[in-house]
Amino acid sequence: MREAAAWTPVALLGALGALALGAAVLDGVLVAGPRRGGAADPFREVARLLVQQRRRTLLADTLLVRTGVYGLLLVAVLAGVVLPLGDRPVADLAAGVVWFNAMEVCAWGALWLTGWGVNSVYPLVGGYRFVAQGVAYELPHMFALITAALGAGSLRVGDVVAAQRGLWFAVWMPVALAVYLVSAVAMAFWGPMDGPVAPDIAGGVRAELSGPDRLVFQAGRYTLLAVVAAAAVPLFLGGGAGPVLPPWLWTSLKTVAVLALLVWIGYGLPTVRMDRFMWLSWLVLIPAALLQLLVVAIVVL
Amino acid sequence: MGLSAWLTRHAAARPRPIVVTAPHGTRLRLLTEAELSRRGWRDARSPAGADLLVVCGTPADALTRAVQVVWTETPVPRALVELRGDPRPGRVATALDDAVGRLADARSQHLDAAGRANAPAPLPHPDSEGQDGGHGGEHDEGHSEGHGEGHGEGHSGGHGHRMGDPGGVPMARRGPDRDGLALDRLHVPLGPVLVDWPAGLVVETVLQGDVIQRARVEVAAGLGEERFWDAPWLAALEGRHVPRGEAARRRAASHLDSLGRLLSVAGWRGAAAESRRLRDRLLWERPHEGLSRGRAGAEVSRDFTGFARRVRRSRLLGWMLRDLGTARPAPGRAVPVPGDVAASLDRWLDETGAALEDLGDRSPLGDSEGPRGPVDERPSEELLAVLPALVTGTELAVARLIVAGLDPDLDQVRPAREASHG
Amino acid sequence: MEPWTVVLGLLGALTAGVLAVYTASLLLAPPGTLEAGPFLSGARPREHALSRFHVRWYTVTLLFLAFDMEMVFMYPWAVVVAEVGVSAVVEMFAFLGLLMAGVVYAWREGALRWA
Repeated sequence: MREAAAWTPVALLGALGALALGAAVLDGVLVAGPRRGGAADPFREVARLLVQQRRRTLLADTLLVRTGVYGLLLVAVLAGVVLPLGDRPVADLAAGVVWFNAMEVCAWGALWLTGWGVNSVYPLVGGYRFVAQGVAYELPHMFALITAALGAGSLRVGDVVAAQRGLWFAVWMPVALAVYLVSAVAMAFWGPMDGPVAPDIAGGVRAELSGPDRLVFQAGRYTLLAVVAAAAVPLFLGGGAGPVLPPWLWTSLKTVAVLALLVWIGYGLPTVRMDRFMWLSWLVLIPAALLQLLVVAIVVL
Repeated sequence: MGLSAWLTRHAAARPRPIVVTAPHGTRLRLLTEAELSRRGWRDARSPAGADLLVVCGTPADALTRAVQVVWTETPVPRALVELRGDPRPGRVATALDDAVGRLADARSQHLDAAGRANAPAPLPHPDSEGQDGGHGGEHDEGHSEGHGEGHGEGHSGGHGHRMGDPGGVPMARRGPDRDGLALDRLHVPLGPVLVDWPAGLVVETVLQGDVIQRARVEVAAGLGEERFWDAPWLAALEGRHVPRGEAARRRAASHLDSLGRLLSVAGWRGAAAESRRLRDRLLWERPHEGLSRGRAGAEVSRDFTGFARRVRRSRLLGWMLRDLGTARPAPGRAVPVPGDVAASLDRWLDETGAALEDLGDRSPLGDSEGPRGPVDERPSEELLAVLPALVTGTELAVARLIVAGLDPDLDQVRPAREASHG
Repeated sequence: MEPWTVVLGLLGALTAGVLAVYTASLLLAPPGTLEAGPFLSGARPREHALSRFHVRWYTVTLLFLAFDMEMVFMYPWAVVVAEVGVSAVVEMFAFLGLLMAGVVYAWREGALRWA
């Protein structure tokens, strides 16, 4: 394991914060419409949530709610620990891909705890929707990650980046990238997969959150979206590789591109309900991912 | 504190509104939504995330109580805007600016908060109990449900296994479901204060998990007479001269409103916003120099064609809306009921396209076929009658889509008439 | 510097940030906490929402468990395929084929539909 540097945590927090804010600004602009001042919405929202009165529902389990809300942000940041910022991540773990997967699965628990703890119907329904969504997307997601790891013959994210020096994985395992992007959207409960926080259940899991709880939750949500977008870069898009510009700039540009794509998708597609989607993820996405895995395994041999 | 005041002012410039509409307040709602869209303010979905509550129309008792409850649930900073009566142009904008001013006033907001903080949680309404008694009785463990008032006071009342009611509210009791299991039941009313929900509609549901076991429709009435969507046809029935173009414009706007609501419930924010923008342009855009009314209509028609193509082509939307609410009409009814959500979507798109072709037609209106059917027959009352049968047994998301697909216009519903029993 | 130290430092910074948010709210927001009922579209709650939730998709969770256990094998497999060769691929895909047969069976039995 390479020596970790002390500046990397700061860089990670700064990068994730900037990406999350950028995603929020883009979403604000899309929702408000062109030339309607939506770009400032996230900042006004932060201001509002800081001065908003704190609120507690009837017999809410505040410890569970705070654990869930903080946990969402925590797992997002922890998942980003293995992603290279330029040429080195915060911690280049030998099983970095597994770490990434394990961290973002903890988001299931975080979101469900929030939905359960507030003692209200709509968040409860939202929390269970997220667990259903998790069961649907997690296996295709894992297969996509394994495909990338197989292509590099290693679970260390640095090795996956190094293995793409000749050719990006996105080029010869496109199905894995597509499956990864779908599962990334589902994992971050964004866009077409926003069932847990959907408008038809009055905002779902965040329906009863206000003030600092809501602020941390929203921060966690956007950070999770930023992390899953950022993870696509070292795993499938070659990491920091590219001519002329330094690696950290290439990483940033690619991450911003993927993140913008995900935010835009979130605005332009209807919400997918899990009772219709479940068979698709088990009978279309998993076999497709498996076929891709077979192809990659044959190539690697 | 200086920073707090600055942040409050900064946040107040773009509040997040929840719009509540009373029946017969449709015109005010449309004006409000157009103004909010023009300002680009982003809707809130629940009171915890809102700072502005806009009440359009004149609510009667039940709706006033509901609004009051939601108002007490909204945390500070908050502002209430009540729009009632005859809307003068610019009045909505003035009221909203007023509300922004109140939101920015940190001192008064703090005083508002000081009066409310740490007050004990309000107990359930005594008159909200016992409503299930009239429905063939609940079968909870064989006990008859003649008395509902035992809930709020915390006494066991013969159900010896209960330990009392924490916080004054009982734990969920069990009831049978379709598979014969005994599952916990929650009584969840859908509406009247719910985003993207028909004005004044209340569907009292019994929820097990997220499946609706029983549903009963009630109407939270509003005071007034105006039936906005049916106005041109009603005027024609009274004998006034109404050009067909006007009626076509109203019909197209009505369908665009319904489309916007359905697409919003389906989670497609982009298409819902576009539909509502088209509706606002049709209803409120004043022709200005260089742009005649005819040309403006042609532009809307052109934009609508692109929008309709995108919505129709969306396979994801078609997949989600397929086979929802395929009608199971109540026995004894001969009239086929449009419960099918995908069919409603297609019908609205087709009729809007056709109506946008007729915007310039000046011949007098002769028929009485309004956007939801013959205006003198009040078709929404029929829709409310079949609604419980359509949503029973469906899960919450599907039920919301079915209601959005039916989109009953409660302006048409006569006040004294109880719409249905589950 | 040890990687774990850095990660702990990251955790510390994040926790400090979140605590700062809560402290800021304590300082800037009105004092006290609003006791507000759950949002029920303007009605008061008739029972607590904390209840046994009928999860109709529980069969899918069993299916998921089976596959998830198999995933424990797949992660190390990805690392050793290049060395071990064809036999690794054949064995793993035979295993996966068996599991997929189970998934198809579950699908035909209607476990993936619960609406």
